[in-house]
Amino acid sequence: MRVATNLSRGSLGFNMTPMIDVVFLLIIFFLVSSHLAQQETQLELDLPKASSGTRPQVDNTRRVVVNVLPERKPGGRIMVAGRVMEKAELAELIRFEGEANRKLREKDREAPPLEVRIRCDRKVPYGEVEPVMIACAREGVWKVTFAVVGK
Amino acid sequence: MRRPPYHKENGGRLEVKMTPMIDVIFLLLIFFVCTASFSAPEEVLATHLLLPGTVDSEVPIPPELEDLEELIIEVSWREGRPLWKVFSSDYDELPQLKEKVLLKVHKLQADLPVILDVAPNVPMKNVIDVFDLCREIGFEKIQFAASPQP
Repeated sequence: MRVATNLSRGSLGFNMTPMIDVVFLLIIFFLVSSHLAQQETQLELDLPKASSGTRPQVDNTRRVVVNVLPERKPGGRIMVAGRVMEKAELAELIRFEGEANRKLREKDREAPPLEVRIRCDRKVPYGEVEPVMIACAREGVWKVTFAVVGK
Repeated sequence: MRRPPYHKENGGRLEVKMTPMIDVIFLLLIFFVCTASFSAPEEVLATHLLLPGTVDSEVPIPPELEDLEELIIEVSWREGRPLWKVFSSDYDELPQLKEKVLLKVHKLQADLPVILDVAPNVPMKNVIDVFDLCREIGFEKIQFAASPQP
């Protein structure tokens, strides 16, 4: 009787192709999902258009991003770090951040000043943005920037 | 002598297999389509209120502008349209304001502080428009007038 011989002649072949396929798919999935998660951290607003705007620099500036919503929500019209708040609460937050930055600058003279970036919808009336700027001026925060999109 | 099996299978021809390459290209295509950002990149308009900078002008200064210490632009909202008021004159078009006032004043005194006195009901779009225009022309100090608050 003929005995079946080992076709691979003693060596066990290990096919890597499906494993590499799966690994690539996983890498791409995690890359895409992390990218989308990063995009969603910025609240989508219809920003005003301007032609003299500059690209924001990535640096170690302490920054407070204030979103002024197009419509009032329960709790206020200002959103900071995902939290809706009233103007008084925002003024308190800017005071706290300003104080923290002042202490930081006392220790490190090279530390950049606090920046307040105002992201407002283009239809928002100026009266809603003015209190943010007044709060900044009262706390000595002079570096106030407006988020815009290029024309 | 035993020859390698692929010589037998391919009959001595070298074939390029397209399937894995197409797989990889499709994967890359899907990756770039998914990661492409379709929203316009965000920029910033800085309001460095205390910027130093003096540009002297050799153009003779007309008497009405000689004692000018600041340029106040009042922005109001009337009948659904923005209205700009400078030196007691009303302008309802930005290019008009640019040609008749801003360019002339900038030519005379480029370091003049510009103060925007904006009514509370003016949409931010129109505020940023005039702010952007002043920056484009070259004014360095652009400030916002604030109404007194308790």
